[in-house]
Amino acid sequence: MPSPHCPAGRLAGAPALAPLALAAILAPLLLGWISVAPNRLVSPRAASLPGSAPVLAALVLFHLSGLVLLLAAWRPRPFWLAEAAAIGAVLALAATVGLGTAAALPAGSTVARAAPAAGAWLGLLLLALALAAAAVVRGGTPALPLLGALLGLAALGAAGVFDSLSLAREMAGRAADLRGAIAGHLGLSLASLLLALLVAVPLSALAFVRPRLEGAFLAIASGIQVVPSIALFGLLIAPLAALATAFPALRAMGLGGIGPAPAVIGIAAYLVLPLAGGILSGLRVAPDDLLEAARGQGLSPRGVLLGVRLPLGAGVMLGALRLASVQAVGLSTLAALVGGGGLGTLVFQGIGQLATDLILLGVFPILALSLAVDAGLALLARRVAP
Amino acid sequence: MIAFEAVSHRYGAVEALREVSLEVPSGALCVLLGESGSGKSTLLRTVNRLVEPSAGRVTLQGRDVAAIDPQALRRGIGYVIQSVGLFPHRSVAENVATVPRLLGWDRARIEARVDALLAMVGLEPRAYRDRPPATLSGGQAQRVGLARALAADPPVLLMDEPFSALDPGTRRELQAALRRIHAETGKTILLVTHDVEEALALASRVAVMAGGRLVAEGVPAEVFGPGAPDVVRRMVRAGALAFHRLAALDAAAAAAPGPAPGAPLLPAGARLSDALLLMLEHGTGCLALEGDPPRHLTVAGLLGHSAP
Repeated sequence: MPSPHCPAGRLAGAPALAPLALAAILAPLLLGWISVAPNRLVSPRAASLPGSAPVLAALVLFHLSGLVLLLAAWRPRPFWLAEAAAIGAVLALAATVGLGTAAALPAGSTVARAAPAAGAWLGLLLLALALAAAAVVRGGTPALPLLGALLGLAALGAAGVFDSLSLAREMAGRAADLRGAIAGHLGLSLASLLLALLVAVPLSALAFVRPRLEGAFLAIASGIQVVPSIALFGLLIAPLAALATAFPALRAMGLGGIGPAPAVIGIAAYLVLPLAGGILSGLRVAPDDLLEAARGQGLSPRGVLLGVRLPLGAGVMLGALRLASVQAVGLSTLAALVGGGGLGTLVFQGIGQLATDLILLGVFPILALSLAVDAGLALLARRVAP
Repeated sequence: MIAFEAVSHRYGAVEALREVSLEVPSGALCVLLGESGSGKSTLLRTVNRLVEPSAGRVTLQGRDVAAIDPQALRRGIGYVIQSVGLFPHRSVAENVATVPRLLGWDRARIEARVDALLAMVGLEPRAYRDRPPATLSGGQAQRVGLARALAADPPVLLMDEPFSALDPGTRRELQAALRRIHAETGKTILLVTHDVEEALALASRVAVMAGGRLVAEGVPAEVFGPGAPDVVRRMVRAGALAFHRLAALDAAAAAAPGPAPGAPLLPAGARLSDALLLMLEHGTGCLALEGDPPRHLTVAGLLGHSAP
């Protein structure tokens, strides 16, 4: 995802928009819209789009929005037009595929599977990039328009447009698993973020007061970043298992070599560096002469911290919290590797079974969670530190 | 009254202050003049304990400042610095209200005080009260800085190169505002500068510092008199000492009673340097003074008064 506040992005976004839009329109035409397989285990083959009226209507909408997007790339005014066209194209393409698969499946078959073909997937990906590029041209963050597109897709799904897709069938079969995995994923992310804050806040405060400790603290936090995450989870298994054996009370509380505990500890270890870095830089945003003026007016050290350092550093600190939160959602996927649950369970099961739909069933909610967390904290940051 | 008694301070191996003793009488506008590194700012900052002397003591109205809680001490002393240091996340009014809020004044009293102060420093309260500091020019920002320092009506004002970052025109405006405020409020003001002209324009007393020592002290006309120490001579352009001395003397004191019809008019409050420049400009040896009763100033009067 491009940095939403990168000033160079204003210039970089515009020239990328037109080729992205053109490629998005051409991709499904050249690489296929839908694919059909007789059952879940056989590789799907590309199939032609059936010519029913709803499919044709969706197809026309897709090309119209694509055309508007191309024109908007040419003359980027009004600024919201390109983003609206890209969202429209995403929804129309998804509807074309959804309605197309419904018509293409052999009547009465419960084992036949239909899915978007490579062209449709590529088209959706390119449109998402075009959406991000358009947001950058406008000078904003792409999180909100992407979230809008996802909400639109959810609405189409609720209307039953995607019911014939293999992914939807997979989801219908695993609705309970999915709900549990989402809740588990949120729990893992939140728990590791809280644990990381519990470590980073007091240690940053200590490092701020005693600058000699800062080097050692940040060196350890950066050192952890170098260890591959799977290796870190693995390294935690032995000591945590030993702890649980030595203190049965801990085992009763759910601590053990495998399960959520090592995952939460491992993820939190990665979040300490961005959090501590943000807190320390945030505390240093206020310039020296301003602090001198504050002390000279008779502000107490506490008053300087609460009245000057924290309000001026709030933007930087919230930025770090945002980064760490998005990282927590992403890293929680790996918790499944040590039996920690979460959406990673579906992803790794899917990889094991070579079932693309199952992988996507895990990946889409992770994506949506990341975007929601990013957009939510971006909104908060804009309110607190404009 | 502020009194420095043999105040010394060292930063590591550097002796920033060496046994400085100085008395600043109540109501004086005392300018600490010196070049960079002379110790003038360090001396100023010992008064509100932003610097603690390594030897000697500083007293305020007879009380040793080391015995007063630093925060309580600072809330009772106005402090203005070159970079102003307004809080960027607070409005002009909130900035001015900093110390009254710390002292727990009620809201109505604070609001009335803020408006009165903005008017006093020459800013229309309604137009400036709610503006963020980022929208102010350098001169406006320092006016707000001055209002903030005066907010709780402290008897003493410390000013560390307050006008050095401003352009010459704005600097003269703010100097005039400070002179007016000093005359109206009778505060004891200690002001640090490296600018001789500024010192002469403002000072009722001058203390010259060099190498951490006090090298000369007194009323400006004395300090810039013929017996001026080498440090003072070095600070002004060669040969310009006598002219600078004129800038320390009021023209009114050298005038004689009686009208001077047709002579150029010298504005009230002008210094002898202004009078000399006006004479040169008009090629005349006689000026009429603005004000009542009519008075006039001649070359002879000017020379007689400026003679040491």
